Amino acid sequence: MPVTVQLSYEMRKALGVSRVEIEGARTVADVVRITRERFGPAGERFDELTRRAAVAVNGILASYRRGMKTPVANGDVVAFVKAAAGG
Amino acid sequence: MIKGYAGRILEVDLRTQRFAFAPLDEETARLYIGGKGYGTRLLYDRTGPGIDPLGPENPLIFATGPLNGSVAPQSNRFVVVCKSPLTGGIGNAACGGSFALGLKKAGIDVLIVTDRAERPVRLEIDGDRDQVEFRDASDLWGKGTYETQRLLPKRHEHAVIGPAGENLVLFAGIVSDERIAGRTGVGAVMGSKRLKAVSVRGSRKLEMDDPEAFRTYTKYVRQLFEDHPVLGESMRRFGTGAIVNTTNGRNILPTRNFQRGHFDRAMEISGEYLEEHGLKGVKSSCIHCPVTCGRDVELEGVGRVKGPEYETLALLGSNLEIGDLKKVSEWNYHADDLGMDTISLGATLSFAMELVERGMLDAKLQFGDPAGVTELIQDVAHRRGLGAELADGTKRMAARYGGHEFAMHVKGLELSAYDPRGSYAQGVEYATTNRGGCHVQGASMYLESVGPLTINPHSLRLKADIPIVQQNLACAINSMVLCIFTTYGMIPKQIHALSPSSWQHRALSFALEHTPGALLRGAMGIKGKPMMWYEKWLTFITGTTFSSGHLQEIGARIFNLERMYNLREGLSAKDDTLPPRMLNESTFPGMSSGHPLHLLLPSYYKKRGWSADGVPLRATLERLQVRT
Repeated sequence: MPVTVQLSYEMRKALGVSRVEIEGARTVADVVRITRERFGPAGERFDELTRRAAVAVNGILASYRRGMKTPVANGDVVAFVKAAAGG
Repeated sequence: MIKGYAGRILEVDLRTQRFAFAPLDEETARLYIGGKGYGTRLLYDRTGPGIDPLGPENPLIFATGPLNGSVAPQSNRFVVVCKSPLTGGIGNAACGGSFALGLKKAGIDVLIVTDRAERPVRLEIDGDRDQVEFRDASDLWGKGTYETQRLLPKRHEHAVIGPAGENLVLFAGIVSDERIAGRTGVGAVMGSKRLKAVSVRGSRKLEMDDPEAFRTYTKYVRQLFEDHPVLGESMRRFGTGAIVNTTNGRNILPTRNFQRGHFDRAMEISGEYLEEHGLKGVKSSCIHCPVTCGRDVELEGVGRVKGPEYETLALLGSNLEIGDLKKVSEWNYHADDLGMDTISLGATLSFAMELVERGMLDAKLQFGDPAGVTELIQDVAHRRGLGAELADGTKRMAARYGGHEFAMHVKGLELSAYDPRGSYAQGVEYATTNRGGCHVQGASMYLESVGPLTINPHSLRLKADIPIVQQNLACAINSMVLCIFTTYGMIPKQIHALSPSSWQHRALSFALEHTPGALLRGAMGIKGKPMMWYEKWLTFITGTTFSSGHLQEIGARIFNLERMYNLREGLSAKDDTLPPRMLNESTFPGMSSGHPLHLLLPSYYKKRGWSADGVPLRATLERLQVRT
């Protein structure tokens, strides 16, 4: 099973898709790299937007684990999430 | 009279059709502010234990606070207090709209409705003439909340019920404009009194201690809100639905009756999607509120109506596995018009769907299929067929059909849309909140799961402290009465602007998470100068100094009084729990169980000043001046 990458709304607006599936990623850093490559010239924009979102692996922020070195496995969901508020 | 108050309580007896004005008690106002605090004090004092929540002896209390009528942003709310027919404990619900302003202009801080009318009735209150008229409401009985309000006098502000309240649906609410006091079944209590509507008008102005300081400061706060990334940007653009993608990414978006925390079609029910596909315009949902978090949607055959909030998008969307925004908007409209809480409605529907899935209930209902749901919502409000059973809520459905382990409620109140397995402090808050499983009695999740600076939701650190501070603050906010969303402005825009991967963000997160709980509670408890806008507003309006420490103390007083009410009604520590699914099943890979409530609850009790079995100690009650 591939890794599912769930993009933030800003990424979706900029890149036209809300999720992509990638193969071969072993860490969060790999996910960012492979996803960036997937978007070709638009990858730079993706890169820029990753700095405005936190990244969660199966719902747990990578910052609570090993940051960009956090391991990912096939079937995982890696999400770029923004702070929000509601009720 | 203390400035900021009208100084009057209006008591209306529906059986005798008599009414009387009485002075507001200044000492009670000093101790409990108003709103939820004052209302709870009245309920405790005026009723004995064990009353029937749907009997004439349960008073229905509409309470405002000193901020209402002031034009302070988000100060448009009133609170309804009564014994809850859904939980059997304290019932309360706050509501926006315009009714709070109407009450204050009529010179009424608190309206107490007692006993029961012989036939459907509505009230017309004229505060300028000190008159209450009891009007026959037979012609309105059976009508929806929107039509009812359209038919009522134009110069009044209204609070009404729909068919759900009339038919004693246990999670019926009370509606003002397009807003609803949704939780704990306050609408059923109003229906039990055969009271269809309360309309109020007047032309009184609020007296303030320092109006000039209030005006100048409010202008500053309005600009602060305008510039704030949550209040001025995110909520204004996307409404509360902006949170769908965040909770989904954090694996806490209720999906399939909380079987999962992630919904593949979340984007399609999000606030962002709503803006792109459904939003036809933004209107200031409540008077004096610059945030304008309300969305409008265009419904076929109906026109432009209020769109769904986050809770509705989750409970009637992802939790039913419905990724169709039009359907959710349609159900939201019907629920509002019928006068029902969409949280309890959605959770009860998802419970029924799981019962069907497990072969425990025979009905044409299934996750992911909208067929029949529209009709079933109508049946709930009118108590027809299966709808009559769903109208009693999840807890009673579980008593009838089984499935206690996946019945998603606390104390009988259905859980809100933040899965506590990915938000431990929120789980403690759900378990201990006096009205049951609700998120707006503290909103701890903002500090651990969805806000710009969150502490690790899966560590035990601070998870007993944050709910205490947040519950106390929420009690105070709901007594002023202000919208709880105001607290989302507490984290300044500079922090929102930090990249989550920056060292500054990491350092601040680390500092927050490693703050000792005692220090956090101690710092919040300092009685100093007013710092936050709501502290300053209270100070400018009443002439009495309010700081964080004052509000924490008042909030703790209200919370403990609610606790004493619940204990008196037979609730106890055994009710401070989470649904078994939350405790035993994990939604996170690598975790073998759910929420570690058993590790946190003893600490919570101790820090609250309660005994090991959850009873406030005498010393705690004396320190807080809680008379029982």
